[in-house]
Amino acid sequence: MKAISLYVDKDTFVHKLEPVTKFWYALASVVLSFIFPSIWMGLLILSTSIFLSLVARVLKNMVGFVSAVLVVSITMLVIQGMFYKENVTLVFTIGGLKFYKEGLLHAILLIIRVVNMITAFGLLILTTRPSDMVTNLVQKGMSPKLGYILSSVLQIIPQMLSTASTIIDAQCSRGLETEGNFSEKLRAVFALLGPLVLSSLVEARERAVALEMRGFGVSNKPTFVREIPETKVDKTLKFLMKTILIFAISWRVFSWIMW
Amino acid sequence: MTQMVRERLIKIENLWFAYKSEDYVLKGISLILDNRPTAIVGQNGAGKTTFVKLLKALLRPTKGDIWIFGQNTKETTAARLAKTVGLVFQNPSDQIFKSRVLDEVMFGPLNVFRDKHKAYENSLKALEIVGLSKKKEEHPYDLTLSERKLLCLASVLAMEPEVIILDEPTIAQDKYSTKVIAEIIYQLASSGKLIIAITHDMDFVLENFSRTIVFTDGVVILDGETEKVLSDDNTLEKAHLEVPWLIKLSQRIGVSYDAVKNLGI
Amino acid sequence: MDNVVREIRKNEKIVVQNLSYRYPLSNNKAIEDINFSVCAGESVGIIGRNGSGKSTLCLALTGLVPLFFGGKRSGRVLVDGTDVLEIPKEKLVRKIGLVLQNPFSQISGAKMTVFDEVAFGLENLGVEREEMLERVEKVLRRLDLWSKRDQNPFELSGGQLQRLAIASVLALEPEILVLDEPTSQLDPQGTTEVFEVLSELKRTGITIILVEHKFEKLVEHVDKVIFLHEGKVIGIGTPEEIFSMREIDEYSVGEPIYTSVCKKLNARKPNGKYPVHFEEAIEVLKGALKSHDTNG
Repeated sequence: MKAISLYVDKDTFVHKLEPVTKFWYALASVVLSFIFPSIWMGLLILSTSIFLSLVARVLKNMVGFVSAVLVVSITMLVIQGMFYKENVTLVFTIGGLKFYKEGLLHAILLIIRVVNMITAFGLLILTTRPSDMVTNLVQKGMSPKLGYILSSVLQIIPQMLSTASTIIDAQCSRGLETEGNFSEKLRAVFALLGPLVLSSLVEARERAVALEMRGFGVSNKPTFVREIPETKVDKTLKFLMKTILIFAISWRVFSWIMW
Repeated sequence: MTQMVRERLIKIENLWFAYKSEDYVLKGISLILDNRPTAIVGQNGAGKTTFVKLLKALLRPTKGDIWIFGQNTKETTAARLAKTVGLVFQNPSDQIFKSRVLDEVMFGPLNVFRDKHKAYENSLKALEIVGLSKKKEEHPYDLTLSERKLLCLASVLAMEPEVIILDEPTIAQDKYSTKVIAEIIYQLASSGKLIIAITHDMDFVLENFSRTIVFTDGVVILDGETEKVLSDDNTLEKAHLEVPWLIKLSQRIGVSYDAVKNLGI
Repeated sequence: MDNVVREIRKNEKIVVQNLSYRYPLSNNKAIEDINFSVCAGESVGIIGRNGSGKSTLCLALTGLVPLFFGGKRSGRVLVDGTDVLEIPKEKLVRKIGLVLQNPFSQISGAKMTVFDEVAFGLENLGVEREEMLERVEKVLRRLDLWSKRDQNPFELSGGQLQRLAIASVLALEPEILVLDEPTSQLDPQGTTEVFEVLSELKRTGITIILVEHKFEKLVEHVDKVIFLHEGKVIGIGTPEEIFSMREIDEYSVGEPIYTSVCKKLNARKPNGKYPVHFEEAIEVLKGALKSHDTNG
């Protein structure tokens, strides 16, 4: 049973970075592209993310993510290009439809911001094992119990789905019809959810006993089999991100105050 | 086809099944199941559970046909087949959702008969048979695992199916409950029902089933009278199964198994 | 009311004194007036009908009853002279390991590989990483799971999962291992795997408490048997002493199947007990047949 994960297993510089470092990169990218209403800044950030995707050899997956917003982007271009309120300068016409510079630029800016968000966080998700992310967070002080909940959800949900399929079999075997009118369908839902919820609770209870006997919750300072090391590179990059962010935010606030 | 209905048989004709394309779990099974209590044995992964799901129309054959008393399983659904074929699942938690034992047993009959009174009467009778009458007002999860398995058996018996399939009936049961189940199988078989059980308990098979079918890797490698099948050391070893203790015992002492059987263990 | 505490002998690993327990919201005692002791390195089997209190007793040995389940306990469970309720959790889990019936509900679900799964308990206890890696490897090799160390636990078979559960518990290096029907949901192959592990563990001197219905296997692995019925101890003795008791038949507890044959033929060993080991049963039955023949 595969766990829910988008992680792509490769051995690159980006993969070896601390998850928290990658998170700061993602945060910085998004904040910067929103603070600066400049398409060039947006493109700069985007090209950094694309470059990093290349280094991490996840460019193909990234394209997959981005193509998810392709339709929305085209729609935005069309609508803003034609109807943006500050439209003045006509750029081209297609069959009677007029497209204006201001609208198109506005749409492009929005699209770049969204794509930046997707690529920056996508980089984090594609190059980080979920369990490593949790370990990193617990290393940094998150409660180990919360860490356990986050880690187990990824595997236990697919398990529940597989149990659900057995439950459907069992109830249909007892004559449960899944077609029919609304009240019959409602009956079916109870007959399927009931055992799922109950058996999950019972299993959770049994699991809790097993966890108790393996010292769960005994120490607030657990150790880790897969330690996530914080290298000099990580420290430098995080410092860099944080500094850039501080400068950018201060500059923005300053310029907002000035005029 | 009418002959089959009169003879009350299950006919499996050249059955092939694959969950994923070309990865066959069952390869060309052809059998006729009659009213001899039949045990289906084999290692985990040999295809037994898949086979039984196909009998219950929970799955459709990839190739071949299954006829239950003349009805092709491809032309019906598991729900509609419920009054003919009852399947007792291995894990009670996969079906229990009512808060009263009696209600849980009544669920199946209500679906199948749509007659509250009949469902109620049948359920009481079924609980009596499995020995849980005293617990009919309790919450199913207040019962032990072994009692819950008997509860699931009752919930199937209450639907009065002609064919009863048991998936690992003796797992988690103590010797006493195993005797109860053996007695139930005997009573049902005597009244003409077709009983089929998947099980690993070879001594249970020897004692209660007159026919044994051995599955390995999706094919039937042995099919016949239980005592003969379970004395075939070589085939059993190939199928990763153990020879029953009583056969080992009769072989070692040098008496026939019949003599041992007549002791009435 | 507590009886006078008798002196604990030096090698008594576990001493249970007047133990009774009632689950919350229950009127009846699940176990009542249980008294027995287990020496270090001994293997003890617990038998009885379903509902006789075997599982409750296992949970009481680990302190989970009453700490985790609530309810009311009276009497004492002493491990190395101290009541389990007074042993801090991090020490307790290093003394006693518990393995239950259901292979699936014993994996944490939070780990993606068999290796990490076994390390889970050590992580919780804050064991140093170097030591952790060593102990995990040792225990995986011991339980023949080393080749599966990178596999996802959910991909293992029932027997492999139970071995994983045992490995996860053994990584904490307990001196006592309590197993509650570990093979009840396994096929014959899985059952054999688990019993092989138990044999090996017995050789290393771990104290083992084993609840089992597969009597033919049980008798080959335990030194003594505790017989429970309706929460009370009916008898404590060697396997053949217990299975020869009349209460075994009276309460329909069952016995090894070849022992049933001996009982039907009243074929006993010279010491008057029914044989509980297969080879002994063969000998006794052959003897009985011979004398039957000579007597015409």
